[in-house]
Amino acid sequence: MTTGVSLKNVRKSFGSVDVIHDVSIDIPKGDFAVFVGPSGCGKSTLLRMIAGLEDTSGGRIEIDGKDVTEEEPADRGVAMVFQNYALYPHLTVFDNMAFSLRLAGAKKDVIREKVAEAARILQLTDHLAKRPANLSGGQRQRVAIGRAIVRQPSVFLFDEPLSNLDAELRVQMRLELARLHRELGATMIYVTHDQVEAMTLANDIFVLRDGWVQQAGTPLTLYDDPDNRFVGGFIGSPAMNFFEAEVTGGGDGVMQARTRIGQHTFTARHTGAAPEGRTVTLGIRPEHIALAEDGLRAKVDMVEQLGGVSYLHVKLEDGSNVVVERHGLREALEGHTVGLTAEPDDILVFDPEGRRLR
Amino acid sequence: MATKNKTLRRNLIALSLIAPFTLTFLLVFAWPTYKVIQLSFTDAPLIGAGEWVGLDNYRDLLGDRLFWIALKNNGYFLLLTIIPTTAIALAIALAVNRLKGWVQALILAVFFLPYILPVSVVTLIWAWMLDFQFGILQPVIEFFVGERVAVFRDPYWVMPMIAVVTIWWTNGFNVLLFLAGLRNIPQELYEAAALDGATPRQKFLRVTWPLLWPVTALVLTLQLILQLKLFDQVYLLSQGGPFNTSQVLLLLVYREAFQQNDGGYASAVALVLFVIIMVVSILQFQLLRIRGKR
Ligand SMILES: Nc1ncnc2c1ncn2[C@@H]1O[C@H](COP(=O)(O)OP(=O)(O)O)[C@@H](O)[C@H]1O
Ligand SMILES: [Mg+2]
Repeated sequence: MTTGVSLKNVRKSFGSVDVIHDVSIDIPKGDFAVFVGPSGCGKSTLLRMIAGLEDTSGGRIEIDGKDVTEEEPADRGVAMVFQNYALYPHLTVFDNMAFSLRLAGAKKDVIREKVAEAARILQLTDHLAKRPANLSGGQRQRVAIGRAIVRQPSVFLFDEPLSNLDAELRVQMRLELARLHRELGATMIYVTHDQVEAMTLANDIFVLRDGWVQQAGTPLTLYDDPDNRFVGGFIGSPAMNFFEAEVTGGGDGVMQARTRIGQHTFTARHTGAAPEGRTVTLGIRPEHIALAEDGLRAKVDMVEQLGGVSYLHVKLEDGSNVVVERHGLREALEGHTVGLTAEPDDILVFDPEGRRLR
Repeated sequence: MATKNKTLRRNLIALSLIAPFTLTFLLVFAWPTYKVIQLSFTDAPLIGAGEWVGLDNYRDLLGDRLFWIALKNNGYFLLLTIIPTTAIALAIALAVNRLKGWVQALILAVFFLPYILPVSVVTLIWAWMLDFQFGILQPVIEFFVGERVAVFRDPYWVMPMIAVVTIWWTNGFNVLLFLAGLRNIPQELYEAAALDGATPRQKFLRVTWPLLWPVTALVLTLQLILQLKLFDQVYLLSQGGPFNTSQVLLLLVYREAFQQNDGGYASAVALVLFVIIMVVSILQFQLLRIRGKR
């Protein structure tokens, strides 16, 4: 495996504010990597550092094995697609895409050929003579991607490229990006706050929070086996349910924990030591909660009925909300009291600091 | 019936809203303009009525050596001011745009300060600075040309120096316009250009300049109108001299009307200037717009 992009102890501060703390990651060549995290966690900053639009305060950035920490943006072999497209408003689609080639002094027929090829891939051939103002949002986005493609960069950088599009177009562009990645085979780094985009597009996801990488891994690793409560709660929609509980017993690879609210004892898979009386948080995904007579008591507040899938919003004694996913539900459950249970393998245990206990 | 009433009411409201402006416009612009046009076909003095003389005033004007000198001087002044002031304002705006926070505000204020001064103060300042005996700029002139020059009494120096004073006085406003234009260009475009491999020079030529063009066209046109109306500075600094080398059209209007008491002829000159300004500025603005659209 050759490395496409490698960050080594990268840091960034704006004045006295540290925005990126000691990030070290390796992204294989040809990978589709996604940086995901809540707004303000430093995703854009990290991406812009890779692009060379922000200086690094510490550490090293390597692209294709070459140290580019001090290189100019244009010399790094990266192309970037901005959230607001950043198209040159005074130039036609053709000229927008030809911009970098012209600056590089490429021959006229080479420019025409490359732009035509990018336009074909992105279905922009009929729009080459238009100005950006006369294009739809999706078309503008494709021009921005086309401008990146013609440079044949070894790394594509995307900063929330779909956030200005409507829902339908977003789904469509997601598929196009996946196709583009297959066709070009280039390394792509994609920034988003939308975990659905991260799950559907990524080979590797890096979850960021407050300038720290919380966990890196494939989408399913992060979903099934989160390292901490933050990742568990951030990945997955609807989000994972959390229950405060106290350890009441254990052994033989399991432990018992009684919830603080409702006093129900769950049995969770757990091999480490679990001293009685210790406070833990239990994490259970909506699809892993089953309804049973003798579970944690809860009252069905509202049902989101989508036909195939339904989401039950149930309330515990103290009014806190839990989401339960059901398939093929046809009974009217609103107002009913139900019991919530889950299999030991589906219950994740976190310590009070949010670290996963395995 | 009901809708008809509604339409009527809406129209009345619309009329009442534009009435104040329309009345003011008619009273202080349209009416005087009409009177000036009328006056230009008579031999009226400054105050009082005159005889209808047809196109006589305009015929006189074509044969008036002073009119042609003034017209030529107005043209010369345009050359001396418009392009230089636009270029200087753009350069200053580009520099100020790179500054941040209060330093930027301070520097901007320094450049804008002259603009808020009344013309009499401006001319006084420059008359002092360029005073033949005590002016602090005389050593500078001496350094470059080898001797002191009474600039406002010198046929070669007078127009360029009035141009310098004018640029110094009015430039702040243009800087402001350019700065607003620069701030309207999204930073992302420069980042995209940096990634596309543009040098600072190429960023200016291929991003800043074309995107700033509407502002540039506006500045050029406003300057054209403003500088064609040149009067105060000349009147205060050189009175059109020496030997009419700073004689300009508005000064001619003033002389004919208020010193020669020839309202009819002055009106004819004023009207010619009015038409020149209108035609030239509309033409220029259209040309510049077309160039920008291409
Ligand atoms: N130029 C800057 N100066 C100061 N602080 C900045 C600057 N750019 C970003 N920040 C701060 O850095 C943090 C991360 O920003 P950003 O990378 O844009 O977050 P994200 O893209 O994940 O929403 C934010 O708290 C933001 O306020
Ligand atoms: Mg961002």
